[in-house]
Amino acid sequence: MFETRSRLARVGLAALLAVMVIPFVIPLFTMVQGSLQGRGWANYQSVIELEGFWLYFRNSAIISLATIAIVYFLTMAASFGFSKLRIRSKEVYFWLMMGALTMPEVVLLTPLVIMASKAGMGGTFWAVIIPLVALQIPFTVLLARSYVDGIPDALFEAAYLDGAGTWRQFWYVLVPLAKPMAVAIVVLVLINSWNSYLLPLVLLGQSEGNMVVTQLPNSFRTQYTDDQTKILAGAVLAALPEIIAYISLQRYFERGIAAGAIK
Amino acid sequence: MATSVTAGPNNSPDPHAPVTSGGGASRRRSHRTPSGLGWILPGFVVSVGLIYFCIGYSGYISLLPWNWRPLRPATIEGFDSYVRAFNSPLFWTCLQHTLVFFIVAYVVQCVMGIIFSAMLHSKVFGATIFKVIIFLPVVIAPAIMSPVHRRVFAVDGPINWILQHLGMINVDAVGNRVWTEWISWALTHIGMENVTPNWIQPSTALWVIIAVQIWSSIGMAFILFYAAMGQIDPEVLEAARIDGAGNIRMLFSVVVPNLKPTLVALAILNAITALKLFDFPYLVTAGGPAHSSEFLGTYIYAELFGVSSHYGYAATLSVLLLILALGLSIIMSVAAREGRPGHKTKGVRV
Repeated sequence: MFETRSRLARVGLAALLAVMVIPFVIPLFTMVQGSLQGRGWANYQSVIELEGFWLYFRNSAIISLATIAIVYFLTMAASFGFSKLRIRSKEVYFWLMMGALTMPEVVLLTPLVIMASKAGMGGTFWAVIIPLVALQIPFTVLLARSYVDGIPDALFEAAYLDGAGTWRQFWYVLVPLAKPMAVAIVVLVLINSWNSYLLPLVLLGQSEGNMVVTQLPNSFRTQYTDDQTKILAGAVLAALPEIIAYISLQRYFERGIAAGAIK
Repeated sequence: MATSVTAGPNNSPDPHAPVTSGGGASRRRSHRTPSGLGWILPGFVVSVGLIYFCIGYSGYISLLPWNWRPLRPATIEGFDSYVRAFNSPLFWTCLQHTLVFFIVAYVVQCVMGIIFSAMLHSKVFGATIFKVIIFLPVVIAPAIMSPVHRRVFAVDGPINWILQHLGMINVDAVGNRVWTEWISWALTHIGMENVTPNWIQPSTALWVIIAVQIWSSIGMAFILFYAAMGQIDPEVLEAARIDGAGNIRMLFSVVVPNLKPTLVALAILNAITALKLFDFPYLVTAGGPAHSSEFLGTYIYAELFGVSSHYGYAATLSVLLLILALGLSIIMSVAAREGRPGHKTKGVRV
């Protein structure tokens, strides 16, 4: 894009960038450095030895995987319906769904708490998964619908002429062709559900062994009355899966985030 | 928006396929297109059903009688609660914070995002490493980073350490951080003498939240601008180059005009973030001190789970927040439709 003619210019540009990214590194550096203060690696050891340490990760994994699976199937089916099938006044349904696009979670808290306890789901994973799914779907459907709109009808017609019913058209034409969009959806929902804090906090309760990974660093705030080193060690451990996932799947993460923002 | 950078439906072999609503398609095929109601119903029921029910429920609770002080007979009834919200200075403070947050975060994100993506489009050494560093904060959960940010802005944290080594801060006998003379002279002369290097305090707490949010979202802006810049026709750049445009001139006259859809997308995205904001203000500053970094989210949460659970008032605030969010989502859907490939507005671009 911009010309960096000489080797010197390229090195200079890299040096300038290195200075400019310092603010990005400060918190990450602080996190690691702070976690090693005092007793050093022993901080990590005491975090890992915390009773139910792995449960934080397991709970987050269960919630994220379930949310991804449900959102994926519901979104694919809905985008197929909206884009390729006949629905009377379908735009009304679509706009109703888009009305829920920007819903702040905090607005739903009171009704959700009351409903979850009435339905006997208070403190169960479903009490978190269902609202998470509900909040993701308008977003992902908007995303997937405009993608599926771009798949030519002729492909579905050809499948129809070859004797494929609606179900087989969905499964053998739409699902494979929508794969690039599906990757974006999966990454987007993964980040949103793994990073969710408020819904699990309120709907799972803060009982032992029932917390998610985003609550890990803050659980030391109450337990050890603000033991900074353990809080930061907890933060490092909690952030690690995401960092590893991002670095190893860099392209997909960037694509997913960009798709989610742009639609 | 028009920048369908991500494996967009742009690749469709038939550019004239009816993409605006799919309506054309169903008309053409209607004689044998099966009904799709069953296909959209599960997703529709889960999302629309649950969310609209919650909205209705909040609306209902907001009109129930309640009392400001717990265990007193209910005196606030019906729309009184809304009158109360509109008369409450804190409600307007929250809105003001939201607006300031939105404007500052948006401007900084755009400027830095454009600068970073322009630099990284210039065949720089170690581009991948820089990309990872800039984007990593987007991926890590705000709740996980919150304690770290508290540490960063602590009195004895890294920010003050840097300022101290830049000669802007002195440590006095009891360990307090105070500005060195020239800084306090400068601050008094721009009317900011109440800013001290103790960051989580009423005059600066909001700016801490804004800084932290910017930290975690520049990567997003960067990725969007980076993708958008990658889509600019190289011939256009070449032509400008031949016409004698320098790097700066190129940026403002050729590149930035092409980023308009991304700027719009980011504006909408930031507006949503500003309305939804909860994790950072709740966990970094707890909306305080003295409500100096309160946002609607933390305000509602405090009313719900605070000392005196004002469910009715929380529901009232929720409904007001909801109206704002709804307005936004209408704008967003309209913008998203106009940006779809094949839409008329797109042809205007050169």
